[in-house]
Amino acid sequence: MATTEIPALTHTAAPVLKSGRRGKSDLTTALIFIAPAMVGFIVFYLVPTIRGLYLSFTSYDLFGSPVWIGLTNYVKIAQDKLFWNAMAVTGEYVVINIVFQTIFALGLALLMYHVAKSTLVRGALLLPYLIANVIVALLWFWMLDYQIGIVNQVIEWLGLPRVAFFGSGTWAIPTIAFINVWRHMGYTALLLFAGLQAIPHHVYEVAALDGAGPWKTFWKITMPLLRPVMVLVLVVTVIGSFQIFDTVAVTTGGGPVNASRVIQLYIYDKAFTEQDFGYASALSVILFAILGVVAFLQMKFLRGNESELG
Amino acid sequence: MTTTQRREAVLAGPANRGTRRRASPTGHPRRPVSWGRVSAWAVLILAILVTVVPFLWMIRTALSSNHSLAANSASLLPADFSWGAFKRVFGMQSPEEAIAQGGSGAAINFWLYLRNSFVVSTMITVAQVFFSALAAYAFARLQWRGRDKVFTLFLATLLVPPIFTALPNFLLIKNLGLLNTFLGIALPTMLMTPFAIFFLRQFFLGMSREMEEAAKLDGANHLRIFFQIVTPNAVGPIATLSLLTFIAAWNDYFWPLLVGQDEKVRVLTVGLSVFKSQSPQGAPDWSGLMAATLVAALPILLLFLAFGKKVVNSIGFSGIK
Amino acid sequence: MKKTLATATALAAVALSLTACGGGSSASASGEINYWLWDANQLPAYQQCATDFHAANPDLNVKITQRGWDDYWSTLTNAFVAGTAPDVFTDHLSKFPDFVAKHQLLPLDEAVKTDKVDLKQFIPGLADLWVGQNGKRYGLPKDWDTVGLFYNKAMTKSAGLSDADMAKLSWNPDDGGTYEKAIAHLTVDKNGKRGDEAGFDKTKVAVYGLGLAGSGSGQGQTEWSFLTGTTGWTHTDKNPWGTKYNYDDPKFQKTIAWWTSLADKGYMPKLETTVGASVADTFGAGKAAINTNGDWMIGQYSGYKGVQVGIAPTPTGVDGKRSSMFNGLADSISASTKNPAGATKWVEYLASPKCQDVVAGKAVVFPAIKTSSDLAEKAFAAKGTDVSAFTQQVKDGTTFLFPITDNAAKIDAIMKPAMDSVLAGKSPASSLTDANKQVNDLFAK
Repeated sequence: MATTEIPALTHTAAPVLKSGRRGKSDLTTALIFIAPAMVGFIVFYLVPTIRGLYLSFTSYDLFGSPVWIGLTNYVKIAQDKLFWNAMAVTGEYVVINIVFQTIFALGLALLMYHVAKSTLVRGALLLPYLIANVIVALLWFWMLDYQIGIVNQVIEWLGLPRVAFFGSGTWAIPTIAFINVWRHMGYTALLLFAGLQAIPHHVYEVAALDGAGPWKTFWKITMPLLRPVMVLVLVVTVIGSFQIFDTVAVTTGGGPVNASRVIQLYIYDKAFTEQDFGYASALSVILFAILGVVAFLQMKFLRGNESELG
Repeated sequence: MTTTQRREAVLAGPANRGTRRRASPTGHPRRPVSWGRVSAWAVLILAILVTVVPFLWMIRTALSSNHSLAANSASLLPADFSWGAFKRVFGMQSPEEAIAQGGSGAAINFWLYLRNSFVVSTMITVAQVFFSALAAYAFARLQWRGRDKVFTLFLATLLVPPIFTALPNFLLIKNLGLLNTFLGIALPTMLMTPFAIFFLRQFFLGMSREMEEAAKLDGANHLRIFFQIVTPNAVGPIATLSLLTFIAAWNDYFWPLLVGQDEKVRVLTVGLSVFKSQSPQGAPDWSGLMAATLVAALPILLLFLAFGKKVVNSIGFSGIK
Repeated sequence: MKKTLATATALAAVALSLTACGGGSSASASGEINYWLWDANQLPAYQQCATDFHAANPDLNVKITQRGWDDYWSTLTNAFVAGTAPDVFTDHLSKFPDFVAKHQLLPLDEAVKTDKVDLKQFIPGLADLWVGQNGKRYGLPKDWDTVGLFYNKAMTKSAGLSDADMAKLSWNPDDGGTYEKAIAHLTVDKNGKRGDEAGFDKTKVAVYGLGLAGSGSGQGQTEWSFLTGTTGWTHTDKNPWGTKYNYDDPKFQKTIAWWTSLADKGYMPKLETTVGASVADTFGAGKAAINTNGDWMIGQYSGYKGVQVGIAPTPTGVDGKRSSMFNGLADSISASTKNPAGATKWVEYLASPKCQDVVAGKAVVFPAIKTSSDLAEKAFAAKGTDVSAFTQQVKDGTTFLFPITDNAAKIDAIMKPAMDSVLAGKSPASSLTDANKQVNDLFAK
């Protein structure tokens, strides 16, 4: 059936969500369909979040009772140099991680789609994702060691100077970002690849008949039709990389000095190590707000709710 | 490797694809070797190398004697070849023997942990994907007031810092009397994750509506449409999501550590964490850790090889049949 | 330091009705006792103790849970908050003041009195460490540790240093004494030139005289405290429960400046090059001739194949004596235990010669009881390891206690970056005066 309909290349997206083709509301059915997820949402996400919001206005050390202190935590955060440092460090990480991860993953997805359709290739590229992130961090921590790491050994064999990957303030964040690009590259590529697969072939056929070259086909067909998945990938990976924690915790622990003290690590230290849970909650609320804005902007500019295939 | 190179190479694809189908029904392209194709393969091989070489290092380390690793840090071959690390992983060494070889004195019941990991990961995967698919369908296809608002709310849970949820959830599981049960480990992720719903919704949005509309005209209700049309047509995305969910559940560490201390529900990640450094300033049992990591990854690797073809190949053709 | 803390999800809380449900009141000592420890190497020894304990008390069954240091404290705090804490757990001096302040530990004074636990059987000082500011006892000592020099025998031999030479090194903060001379001589560059020879290239060092684990944060337990301890400097105004730190003292800053200078001279790796593999593994790889480390690392150091390890006591210092931080672990009972009687029985058993002799026999750690500690020394000797470098400090009374104060975590958050900065050469040692002010402000509140 679908093959008989050929969407025009220039077709501008008709927002699917607003297509009022059906007048009748499916409310009852919808309620049944989302009921189990709704329970999970309320119990395991909403309630803890609201409680966290409440705690951000309190002084709370985990063991006693929370004491309401109004906006004190927020006022303190505004003057907290380490918080601003943490945001800057996290921002640097997110940019490096997302730029490289997305470019590599998109490239690999296109290669998987057009050049190497073998499951073996896909399997190989997904391998790093099969390893838990803490172990991945430990593995690279060891392989990239300045004195006895194999990577520095190879660098020396090549006649180049050794690099203090984790110990130097300049390299720490790029190194950590690279480790996570390594782990997630194949995974992200697989998501994008799934998106590529979902693009019907006949669209390409039409493009070929119209005489579109590869460059034009990529920008006019592949990218627009990949958009729903691209938005998914970008939103999820950007938010995910703001939550970076494990890799830093098992390697640099925030050092040297504070060069890799990312926001989640700072929150963790405040909440757990220093047991200043109210303050940590306030930090989390601010992070939540920032992520909300980032996600909103992404959805807006990438028009994630729309599909080109009407 | 520049991106432009890659794009060129890649872009040769779609345009050729249509002509190829026409020209050779068997699917074997007959084309001269192009520069683009060569560089595409070069990039791909480089990417695979970058991905795989650390694994060779893991294998090399797993086959070494832990005590000889430091002295042979520059050797590409196993240092003082030994199966000891794998024996430790499978719990085939006595604590004394293990300690003597640089391991820990903790007993390891490998096959039990493996079974537990399978039980937990399967529970989470099956339930989460099913419930999330239902919800995703409601968000993508059903018309109801407040739909987009509720979806945004669901999506916002992606933003919730994990620090908010661990302890309340732990308390809840405890109060439900589910500590040290499989259900207790699985429950928080069984009903939904924002990612799963978001993922499936995006795919459902991208799917063609023709068949649904037709079924609707035939008088099918939404439940039937969901089970008989949407699900079969979304086998690819659903299989992909299942695989990713399974891997995430398989690799989860902190939650099962918190909730499932007991040996009878202990999962692999928790059971095998004894290979990490156990005391401050200590070094990990590197060969044991690498052997454990490889062994723990093997089941999901096999799973991928078994279902991987289905996962990704079915996606593109699903809407056409 | 690569102490890490588990996962992202780690902690959290938003606990509501937590402490509401208190401990029960089962007077009879029966049932299961949950016991936690972190060091897997000691697990077989304590498992043996648990088995013996069960044989003597058939009504009581001890269930041991072991989890590594990195996960231990986060899961323990969660367990405390949720009310699922173990009845008894291995406690650390840097953590216990917090637990006391939050009323999570059960005082043991009553039990010590009624059951007549002999506090004199422990090595002097150890038992005093576990008394809170309120004068109550919250732990019975289980083991102790001091610091020594681990050195690569092949390297000292080729440098012409005998074991006797290594055992009588002396140090001062002005020229580093024979300690620095030995370190310099043991440093070798890629051309084979030693650190004290003309033409030594400090940019191409093959073997460092002294390895570096890290900056040591505010305690410097294995890094620098054995040096500062000889200058008459103490971490705090009094110990335990000091309220003023002394990082602004010129004696302290001079010592740190000397230590940092080793990296500038090329005798010790730069801080930035030490983030990665553990310092012990680097030693095992032959990249350093001497490591300063604690006695709990004996097993690690003597395990490396192809490396002959010698152990020397720390150098004598300004006051002509040696010095070592004296630290120890204890077993504590959580306040929420449902079985205080049984838990007390188990803690007393752990602190008795019966159990500590078993631990001694495994030669992994030094038990807190004097006689058991001697047994451990013999057990180590039987395994071919001479541990007198560690025990000597105790016998000569040259140890000082681990500094116990409130705010340990907040102090660490200030001192770790400050010390890192000094050691990395980014700030002068005098910058520690400012850090000290921040630390002391914590107590002013």
